[in-house]
Amino acid sequence: MGLFQHKKKSNNGSSDDDTGAIEERFFDENFREELRNHGRWYFEKIITENGDVFKKELDTTVEQISIQLKEHVIKQLDITIEQVNIELKDHVTKRLDEQFLEYSRALKDAQDLAMQSLNRSAQALEEQHHQISATLEENVKKQETELNAAFEENKAHIASMKDAQNTAMESLNRSAQALEEQHNQLNDTLKSNVAKQEEVLVTGFESNMAQIVEHYLLGALGNQYDMKAQIPSIIQELEANKKAIVDDMKL
Amino acid sequence: MSEQVINAQSDFVLPASVVTKVDVARLAIEAERIDNELTASDVRSKIGSTAQVKPVMTQQFSDFIQQNNVSLDNSHDRTDLIKQLRQLKDRVPMIHMTFAVTADLESLQQLTQWLRTSVHPQAVIAVGLQPALVAGVYLRTPNHVHDLSLRAMLDGGHDLLVEELGALRGSR
Repeated sequence: MGLFQHKKKSNNGSSDDDTGAIEERFFDENFREELRNHGRWYFEKIITENGDVFKKELDTTVEQISIQLKEHVIKQLDITIEQVNIELKDHVTKRLDEQFLEYSRALKDAQDLAMQSLNRSAQALEEQHHQISATLEENVKKQETELNAAFEENKAHIASMKDAQNTAMESLNRSAQALEEQHNQLNDTLKSNVAKQEEVLVTGFESNMAQIVEHYLLGALGNQYDMKAQIPSIIQELEANKKAIVDDMKL
Repeated sequence: MSEQVINAQSDFVLPASVVTKVDVARLAIEAERIDNELTASDVRSKIGSTAQVKPVMTQQFSDFIQQNNVSLDNSHDRTDLIKQLRQLKDRVPMIHMTFAVTADLESLQQLTQWLRTSVHPQAVIAVGLQPALVAGVYLRTPNHVHDLSLRAMLDGGHDLLVEELGALRGSR
């Protein structure tokens, strides 16, 4: 409908009327609506195509812009970082120099203090060394004196001990001699006693031995002889005593 | 008669199996038993019994009868024999012999035989046992004792044994 609003109208009246009538018949409402829909579809299609193209171009453009922006930002950042680095380096160097100066000063002060302290300690040690040396010398002298006294005393003791030892040795020798004499006497007495005891024991042994032998024989032979074995010896004994037996039987 | 009996009794030969006085007494008892049996048999035969009685004899009695030729047929002879055996039992010469071990019959017979050949032909022995004798015999005749045991020999040799031990010590 809008599309055909600006269409130029012809100057012919009748024909125009006819044409208008024809147009009226031809372009009824349905047809118009269809045309309108077709036009709408076509317009949407064109719009869509143009939108896609525009979108593509916009994406491409945005991408290019993004790349360019990124490069630019990187470049700017590099420059900035370089500047910051330089500034930071200068600042750190400066601060470090200041710190080094301070430390150097403090170290020097500490060294000075330590040197003073060491000097004082060395002096004190030297004084102490002198004192100890003096004390030691005194002690050595004292000890030497005491040792001399003790040596003299021990010498006297040793001499007295030697005398006592000699006396004891003489006494021991006398005792040993007396003991030897006693030992000899005891030995002689013991020997004589042993001999006597031996004599007594042997005598007793012989006497007892006879009994033992008899007892052994009695025990050993008691159950060994049976009557048949004894008969020859019995008859022999009877023969030996035959006369006495016969005489007695005749009485 | 009495003289004859005494002579007969003194002439009896005792067999070797008769060793002790008890054996002689047993001979007398057995003679009495046999006499009774034979007398009873004679009485039975007189009343008409035909059964012949043969008396049973021990070996000792049989040897005695055989060695002395004694007849038992006559009742009078049997009575004499009994009488003589009783007298023999009372008068038989007896010797006591004590041994260290139990004497067996064979040994006793040997000893009796020796006594009868050497001492008296009718000698008997009475046996005793004394283990303390160890060996040998302790003989006792009517009036004497003869210690022929090993113990007596050792007792007698005691001093000799002591002397020999002393000699042995001296030699060492």
